[in-house]
Amino acid sequence: MTQETVAASRDLLALVLDTLVPASDGFPGAGAVALDHVLAMAAASADLERLLSHGLRAVRAASGANDAAGPASLSVDDRENVLRRVEQSHPEFFEALVRHTYDGYYSHPTVIARLGLDASPPHPRGHQVETVDLADLARVSARGPIYRPA
Amino acid sequence: MGGSTSASDDRTDVLVIGAGAAGAAVAWMLARAGIGVVCLEQGDWVDPRTFPHWRADWELHRHTDWSAEPNVRRLPPDYPINDAGSPITPLMYNAVGGSTIHWSAHFPRFRPSDFRVRSLDGVADDWPIDYATLEPFFDLNDRMMGVAGITGDPAYPPKAPRQTPPIPLDTLGATMARGFDRLGWHWWPSDSAILTRDYDGRRACINCGPCDLGCPTGAKASTDITYWPKALAAGARLLTRARVREITMGADGHADGAVYHDGEGRLSEQKARAVVMAANGIGTPRLLLNSRSARFPDGLANRSGLVGRNLMFHPYAMVRGVFDRPLGGHRGPIGCSLISQEFYETDLSRGFVRGYSFQVARGLSPIASALGGFIGDRVPWGREHRRAYDERFDRTITVAVIAEDLPEPHNRVDLDPALTDGHGIPAPRVFYTLSENSRRMLDHGIARAVAALEAAGAREVSANPLLRAGGWHLMGTARMGRDPATSVIDAEGRCHDVPNLYVVDGSTMVTCAGVNPTSTIQAVALYIADGMIRRRS
Repeated sequence: MTQETVAASRDLLALVLDTLVPASDGFPGAGAVALDHVLAMAAASADLERLLSHGLRAVRAASGANDAAGPASLSVDDRENVLRRVEQSHPEFFEALVRHTYDGYYSHPTVIARLGLDASPPHPRGHQVETVDLADLARVSARGPIYRPA
Repeated sequence: MGGSTSASDDRTDVLVIGAGAAGAAVAWMLARAGIGVVCLEQGDWVDPRTFPHWRADWELHRHTDWSAEPNVRRLPPDYPINDAGSPITPLMYNAVGGSTIHWSAHFPRFRPSDFRVRSLDGVADDWPIDYATLEPFFDLNDRMMGVAGITGDPAYPPKAPRQTPPIPLDTLGATMARGFDRLGWHWWPSDSAILTRDYDGRRACINCGPCDLGCPTGAKASTDITYWPKALAAGARLLTRARVREITMGADGHADGAVYHDGEGRLSEQKARAVVMAANGIGTPRLLLNSRSARFPDGLANRSGLVGRNLMFHPYAMVRGVFDRPLGGHRGPIGCSLISQEFYETDLSRGFVRGYSFQVARGLSPIASALGGFIGDRVPWGREHRRAYDERFDRTITVAVIAEDLPEPHNRVDLDPALTDGHGIPAPRVFYTLSENSRRMLDHGIARAVAALEAAGAREVSANPLLRAGGWHLMGTARMGRDPATSVIDAEGRCHDVPNLYVVDGSTMVTCAGVNPTSTIQAVALYIADGMIRRRS
């Protein structure tokens, strides 16, 4: 049987990602911002491609649907239940899926900005840090040496 | 050994193998004294313009080309390591600058008692040198690397003024300091090899955060920008993309150079009057064990059978507290905030001998927060994800318990019978088990770290009892000592079996203390180089 590629399961994958990290509180869903990253990682690694395509087939089977849009007809509760069953039955797939989803999601400029951070590269921007009074060090010093002379 | 070898007829005085923390320091010191130095480095110069900091997706690179694990990174200069027999994964970087390219530059020294473990506590062995002997080399190294800190720490003998003021504690560090204060425990701003003011032609830190991915500012001391420019100016030669295959021996029983693969894979040979091993605590024993001969059938300088043995990591336990308010943890050098040495010296009533430090680093970046950071408990997926993530992001402090590991011969590096690097050179294999003493020490540290975090205001605390990806410090595999039966090198860094073969990296360490070792590794390297210079004159 020919196995469908991850790219060919794009719609299903987007739905799965949106179930992993749904849109809420002004944050986008992972299907909108992490999909390209997950697809790119799968395209770059034959091992990951195999793992994800096999796992997505399991998602489709667990949802009881044969067409590509099958799981879309399920309620959110049912979609989560499907994924929890697949998480148990295909732990390696699921671990990789969640990890790459979080990678893509939390490196996306839209999400970074929504977290309240500057989405531009850290250099040469840098950060301002709070200057803290080190007066408490006097208490620490007052104990005298705590090392053993040798 | 197959293939033809092109021999260089320009015999150098000293051949240094490895251009990292120790190799760079030795090359500089010898070259400054007018000694001819050639250094062979399997990696290349790293261009700061290629660091991930210039990219918006910088954090992704921690999992790929900037992973601290060579088995993940798999760049051409890397060699594979079979670590299936170890609960701790060895970490390193292979380039000019070595692992100082990706280190966090936390820079404490060993303490005086660390060199007298047998005399004081009846375990392991004393070093054949002591803190007082190394002190001038600590100070010299501090000036070369540039250290941010503040004097007066009661955990140490008085030190010379630091080169720049300490790294700012910021909200996160100040919060944790209050926790230690409430318990009446020791803490101090970390000595860090990161500049907070311009110094020696280098720029001050801009607090961008991910020091583990290199430092594009040049504020963090990596030896490609500290020692190497000065070493090269003094006449040292540095050959990059030069992977040493074996150390060669003369008929007189002395080392006389090395055979290496150049950047195009050709075998070449560099002759030398003395050879200095600076390839780290795994690379050095690997190379010695790969340099077999009729005279040394079990590996070069290995008549004691101790090359590769007594491998010490610093076992890390990680304890994370979650707080109710933002802590600004993404600001500032990732590994450097403050240190506590409240439980450093031996107190047998605690149930173990020797002790540990607490290292308080910064907070977690966005992806690390989602994946659980050093605890590894990723944020749950599904409809509860948003709430769970927001409760954690920028609201955590992680306290690292860094335990003193005692040397045990069964913890070792040897050669894998099948695994090889890209040149077909046998790869290292690591066997390591955590001792009962270290386990008790870590458990004690976890309980005390929980107390400190709660005193600082944490509402929820979690722990990882042993960090797997924590093998930053590779030590003890060619240990120093006076007795050739129980050590590989003497008190001057010379191999007992081969008097012109030196070891200067973390392999030299007799014991590993309960702090990050690079400051001490470099001080020992400078001390050994100083001895080479004195004996020559």
